[in-house]
Amino acid sequence: MTTINNEKSSKLKIQMKGISKVFETEELETHALKNIDLSINEGDYVSISGPSGCGKSTLLSLLGLLDMPSSGQYFIEGQDVSDLSLDEAAEVRNKKIGFVFQSFNLIDELSVFDNVALPLRYDVERPTIETITKRVNECLELVSMSHRKSHKPNQLSGGQQQRIAIARALVANPAILLVDEPTGNLDSKSGDQVMDVLAELNKNGTTICMVTHDPRYADMASIQLKLLDGMILTTPVAQLAV
Amino acid sequence: MGSNMGSAIGAIMSNVSSIFSGQVIYQAKQAWQSLKGHPGFIASVLTTMGLTVGALLCILTLAYVLLVKPLPYPDQNSLYVVEHQLINKDNKVDGGAFTYPNLMYLYNNQQVFEQAALMHLDADVLLSLPANPMLPISFVTPEWFSLLGPKMALGRTFEQTEAVNTYNPVAVITYQTWQHDFAGKVNILDEKLNFSDVSYRIVGVLAESFSEPQLHGIGYNSSVILPWDYNTVSERDRKTWGNDDGGLIYLAKLSTKQANKTINVVQAGHALTSLVNDNWQEKISSQDFFKGWGINLQVKTLKSVLLSGSDSTVYLLLAGVLGLVMIACANIANLFISRTAEQQRSLAIKAAVGASKKQLFISIFSETSILMGLSTVIALFVASGGFLVMQLYLNEYLPRIDELSINVFTLSCAVTIAILLALFFAKLSANMINYHALNSTLQSSGKGAGIQVSAKIRNILITSQVAIVTALVFINITLFKDAINTLNQPTGYESNNRYFFVMSLPSSNEDNKDELLANIHLMREKLLALPQVEMISQSRPPSAFGTYAVTTAKTNERYSAKGKDIDHQYFDLINQEFLQGDNFSAQDIKNDHRVTIVNEVFAKQLAPDGNVLGLTLNGSKIIGVVNSIQIPNSKTIDARFYYPASPIRNMVLVKVKQGQKLDRETVVSLLKEVSSQIKLFSFASLNERSKSRLYTQYVTVFTSGVLALITLFLSSVGLYGILSYSTQMRRFELGTRMAIGAKGKDLIRLIIKDNLLAIMLGIALSMIMLLIITIGFNEQITNYLTLELLPLLFITLSAIALISFIACYFPLRQLINRPAIHSLKGCE
Repeated sequence: MTTINNEKSSKLKIQMKGISKVFETEELETHALKNIDLSINEGDYVSISGPSGCGKSTLLSLLGLLDMPSSGQYFIEGQDVSDLSLDEAAEVRNKKIGFVFQSFNLIDELSVFDNVALPLRYDVERPTIETITKRVNECLELVSMSHRKSHKPNQLSGGQQQRIAIARALVANPAILLVDEPTGNLDSKSGDQVMDVLAELNKNGTTICMVTHDPRYADMASIQLKLLDGMILTTPVAQLAV
Repeated sequence: MGSNMGSAIGAIMSNVSSIFSGQVIYQAKQAWQSLKGHPGFIASVLTTMGLTVGALLCILTLAYVLLVKPLPYPDQNSLYVVEHQLINKDNKVDGGAFTYPNLMYLYNNQQVFEQAALMHLDADVLLSLPANPMLPISFVTPEWFSLLGPKMALGRTFEQTEAVNTYNPVAVITYQTWQHDFAGKVNILDEKLNFSDVSYRIVGVLAESFSEPQLHGIGYNSSVILPWDYNTVSERDRKTWGNDDGGLIYLAKLSTKQANKTINVVQAGHALTSLVNDNWQEKISSQDFFKGWGINLQVKTLKSVLLSGSDSTVYLLLAGVLGLVMIACANIANLFISRTAEQQRSLAIKAAVGASKKQLFISIFSETSILMGLSTVIALFVASGGFLVMQLYLNEYLPRIDELSINVFTLSCAVTIAILLALFFAKLSANMINYHALNSTLQSSGKGAGIQVSAKIRNILITSQVAIVTALVFINITLFKDAINTLNQPTGYESNNRYFFVMSLPSSNEDNKDELLANIHLMREKLLALPQVEMISQSRPPSAFGTYAVTTAKTNERYSAKGKDIDHQYFDLINQEFLQGDNFSAQDIKNDHRVTIVNEVFAKQLAPDGNVLGLTLNGSKIIGVVNSIQIPNSKTIDARFYYPASPIRNMVLVKVKQGQKLDRETVVSLLKEVSSQIKLFSFASLNERSKSRLYTQYVTVFTSGVLALITLFLSSVGLYGILSYSTQMRRFELGTRMAIGAKGKDLIRLIIKDNLLAIMLGIALSMIMLLIITIGFNEQITNYLTLELLPLLFITLSAIALISFIACYFPLRQLINRPAIHSLKGCE
């Protein structure tokens, strides 16, 4: 399960150069991230772990273009995304990034199908209904949730909800899946099931970057980064390979 | 044993009451402590509810005084006014006032009423006081006093000694005249009043508390009461059966026995009509003009006559203010809802330590009670301010305004409204609490189990706001536009730099005629010699006409037309356009030639081709046709004719040079120089005169404009509040949507789409409301129902759409203009 996919590492998905993030208040400057260099190749399974307050979430939100770095350069599949407008960032997120949140973040009013289809509805290319239906069904298949299509999220267990969230993250064929403490709100059995789904996806080629503080799950990743005080402690294997 | 029981019950009762009062104080203290930390919340509630409930109390009191409160006269339910109508040959009402002989005939011969009084209102210059004030006078028969039962401050009322045809020159003055014109002189009953060279001995002073029924028009109060015999109707008119006079009033009382049996007013009207009409037909049988005409008498309750159509104004005001209160309630409801949502943690702790549902309700009710109590106190201040403003500005517009004050009715309304609102807001807030979910609020981090305003309540709030605001704004814009249209109506004559005054002249007879003519001539010379004066004309003002029966010689056709006497400078002075023929010449005026000028409307009636020059009207030859002017605040343009004024006409129009002014004092001193016998009766600029005619329109423009703006403002705040709260509630969801690629415009579209149904429903409801109003009040609003309403409706809907859009967009702006992480943070 934790084998390193060296053959797939030829194609660079994510590259950060000298990324820093400073939070400024009137009295205080907090350096949340300091000079981060990071590369993730196609097919990698990267985990980021560290104590609370080390900058994990900040790094993940920069990776996901939810926030902008204070300095440094960031490329996704070769495209410079260091300095995008809010709408440009939204477009890149829509096409290239799939998010899996700790608390699932499904929309209660929408059915499972519509939740999964949501990223495609925001796609500027406006895919046809047939394309959407086909793709949503494929993704639900991938997480084994096809039989719950017309349910509402609150009719499902936590583990099932997280699998729906993974399907939603996959639906737009993103360059990378960004996963934030995927088991944090789950019991251990459901957590294990979700981790199995992620591992299976990675085995089939999906690039994953996961933030977790659970060492057991961090070990499941092929590349394990440790973050402390805004800096990466472990030199990622993938970077050496470049 | 019995006394033991008694003391035990007493002890229990006192215990209960002390627990109860202790509980009340405790709850009030707790509520105040909890409110104290939210001054913004308190201020919003107090200002919104204080102002709107204040306005509501003001209008409710007005409605009470006008529609419910008994008139301040004994047997007020048995008091009636008889109205006299001249019905022309086409069965249309030609004149709505009594002719003098008919009035006297009715007074002397009727059997229907137990008692009847005659009234006539005029004004005259009081010669016996050095200041020569102009005083409004009521000429009345003694029954006026027994019907209205005024208390006297001094002296007596009129009695049999002042009955009709006694010619006893005595006077009763009002308390205000006594104080104002006679400085409250102690021996006022020794004084005499001199009007038009008749000296009246003052025999009584009315009490301060007496308020006269304003039968001559709203705002008209008389200062002096004189016996009927001295009324100013001329000897000629006293015998003319065909000329009606709006100053004549017939006030009567049915005996209480009759009133109980309800000999209904229609029957009474029929009986009186046949009495008066039979006699009238006999008297006018020789006059061809009145062939086919008739008299109709209508008996109306004094109350309905005094109300004179003001009830629709009251209902309109009531509807407007109720709309405002509803919008305010929706806004405040929203604030309370948000506050309850905020308080979820403290409510949960209270529930955890054992507070029952009822106890939670009481603690919320304590808060709403404090807030509504304070709002009501503010509202009472606002209402008394409103009364003052209404007394200042609406005194000539609505009857009985001087009776407005905070009374028992206002106070009971205030208390009832406060209790109802406190209960309503408490119930609304309490209903949001899911008592069973409260405990889990404490256990979990709060996600999912907290108090949220249900989408249903949010939608109801949005729909009701939109419905009320659309209907109210549309109605107000319609009234506003209509009033503006009337204000901007071109009149067809010039009123800038023009003044008008009336002189009080000694009555003219053969002995003094030459002297009077010489004095008037001197007055004209002196007036023209003033540096600012450009031109003068001895004529009636542009807006004043009398109604006359007119016959053409050629066809013998009869017309009822408006006419007035003017001199040869009149049309030039007011720039009224000539269309055909000639103006009067100076000779026509001097020698009283039998010539006349008609307006275009009348010319078209007389001859469809408009070629009327040379025709005769009542023996006067038509020599010219003028443009038809539009009298301010009159919906129609009448057929009118003009005839030469007498050289001793007491009315003068003055045109001053551009940028110059004429004032009252100049005219007063000029007249003094001419003769001590000529006094100034009234003075005003033509603009002031049209302004006072257009008073209703100005009031309407102001109130409807202000009401529309306040409504829009309140509803903007309200909609913003609701939508901003709902956006806040959805922040996490919106953040998620942003994370998976939604752009700003996607979210704007989403929020608009989500609220569109509620907004459209509100608009549909408002359309239904407007439709119901249109069907229910079709008669009253038929004037307003034109195609012009469509653009107004469009403007209203655009305004509502814009406000709704802003209310959707602004709360969202803080989310979509920042990186997505801000919306996702703090929600985990």
